[in-house]
Amino acid sequence: MVGIGGEYMPDFVGSKNSKFLPIPIFTIRRAGSIDQFRGPRDSASIALLDVGNFRAGPAFKYVSSRKSDKYSELTGLGNVDAAYELGGFVEYYPVDWLRLRSELRQGFGGHTGTVADVSADVIVPLIQRLTISAGPRFTWKSTNATGPYFGVDATQALASGLPVYDAGGGAHSVGFGSQISYRINPQWEVHAYVEYEKLLGDAADSPLVKLRGSSNQTTVGLGASYSFDFRIR
Amino acid sequence: MRRIAFLWVGLAAACIALGAAAAFETRATKLQAIKTVGIVSAIGEEMSLTQAGLTALGNAGQRVSISAWGLDELIVQQATKLLNGRFRVQPVNYRRAAFAAIRDSAVAPVNLLRSDPFKELVRSDVTPQGLDAYIVITRARSKLGNGRNVEGVGLAEYRTLLADYGLIHALYEVRVIDGKTFDVIEKRAAAPLDNTGTVRIAGPSGPVDETFGGPASGERLRAAIADLITRSLPVTLGDMHLIDGP
Repeated sequence: MVGIGGEYMPDFVGSKNSKFLPIPIFTIRRAGSIDQFRGPRDSASIALLDVGNFRAGPAFKYVSSRKSDKYSELTGLGNVDAAYELGGFVEYYPVDWLRLRSELRQGFGGHTGTVADVSADVIVPLIQRLTISAGPRFTWKSTNATGPYFGVDATQALASGLPVYDAGGGAHSVGFGSQISYRINPQWEVHAYVEYEKLLGDAADSPLVKLRGSSNQTTVGLGASYSFDFRIR
Repeated sequence: MRRIAFLWVGLAAACIALGAAAAFETRATKLQAIKTVGIVSAIGEEMSLTQAGLTALGNAGQRVSISAWGLDELIVQQATKLLNGRFRVQPVNYRRAAFAAIRDSAVAPVNLLRSDPFKELVRSDVTPQGLDAYIVITRARSKLGNGRNVEGVGLAEYRTLLADYGLIHALYEVRVIDGKTFDVIEKRAAAPLDNTGTVRIAGPSGPVDETFGGPASGERLRAAIADLITRSLPVTLGDMHLIDGP
């Protein structure tokens, strides 16, 4: 499946300003298999275990770098390198219209902490072609995953004018997401979504968020994708 | 350093391309050498009844016996008719239940790593031995909705808020197993018959209308599933280069 989408999202996590980013959509499935529900916040994943209503496997997320010279709010805080989060996911469908999903990932690069995501999605097909879904989200992050983005050390405090702040781990955010998708035909599908996230704990209390940003984070996205099979005869 | 990395990537790509070309060549050569075949079919003993979409909690699928419908006999008859031009098809005996009992592992890598379970069964269970190849037709599996698997022959209902949609399916895969080495020469799942349905399922399926209710519904259902098989079998065998196409 290939496609193109766009996201209107915060400049960086904790920012009060937003930017628009084009997003490529690219998925590979085994020939003959069908696409399944996917939430906008889901990491890239492969279901190595699939018993119908229970799936599990490895998951991967790329967290882009944060450059301090791109946004004035970050002046003096230095750059945070891109992070690569590797881990696994489990998802369970107690009924066909309810998905419970959890991910646990370990960061490398820009942060070296642990991240856990938990989400639930009620998936309601209105008709064959039109599906809406919505549900709560919760994220927990360890100190090493929170510190690089929300902590302010003495050097950064001098350079940025923000007070020194030691960001610890814990509940990172709670939120709610909703998605609508319409399948025009077996090949074409269009979708739109909104994800709201309220930063919690040390992330919300960071001077970067309190003095220069916002703990309310909203992402709006839309996209179109085209599915096709190719076989080698 | 970067140049060396590019060289390794290029070398790996060349090895993959050469390996794939060699595999295709070997498969084509093996198929050309086949003169006599036997056909095994084991998809038609049971039918699944599945609900997906907006279903109630604890809604598990059901299975009913349809062995009286003689679908496997129909498949063997149809496949024999299609293959007879190119191969000499000989009747074979086998325990259908043993073939039907084999399931894919839920752990995907296990299916990739383990030896194909049908190879051993063909070696131990099918008589006569010594044919050039055996065509083995067994159940395939697909997702329906988000959290339901369907396989083989079945009747499914996809429930949405505003309407319910019924469909029948005949999901099967075909293996060509070498009669001497018992290697799987070729394996393919039957593809959807057309690309117009919106309840997506990875194999031959069709919509069900209200005529499937009431008296004689079983016979109509059998006829509809037989039609799916009859229409999809030439396409699948054609995709496998076993016949010249539908």
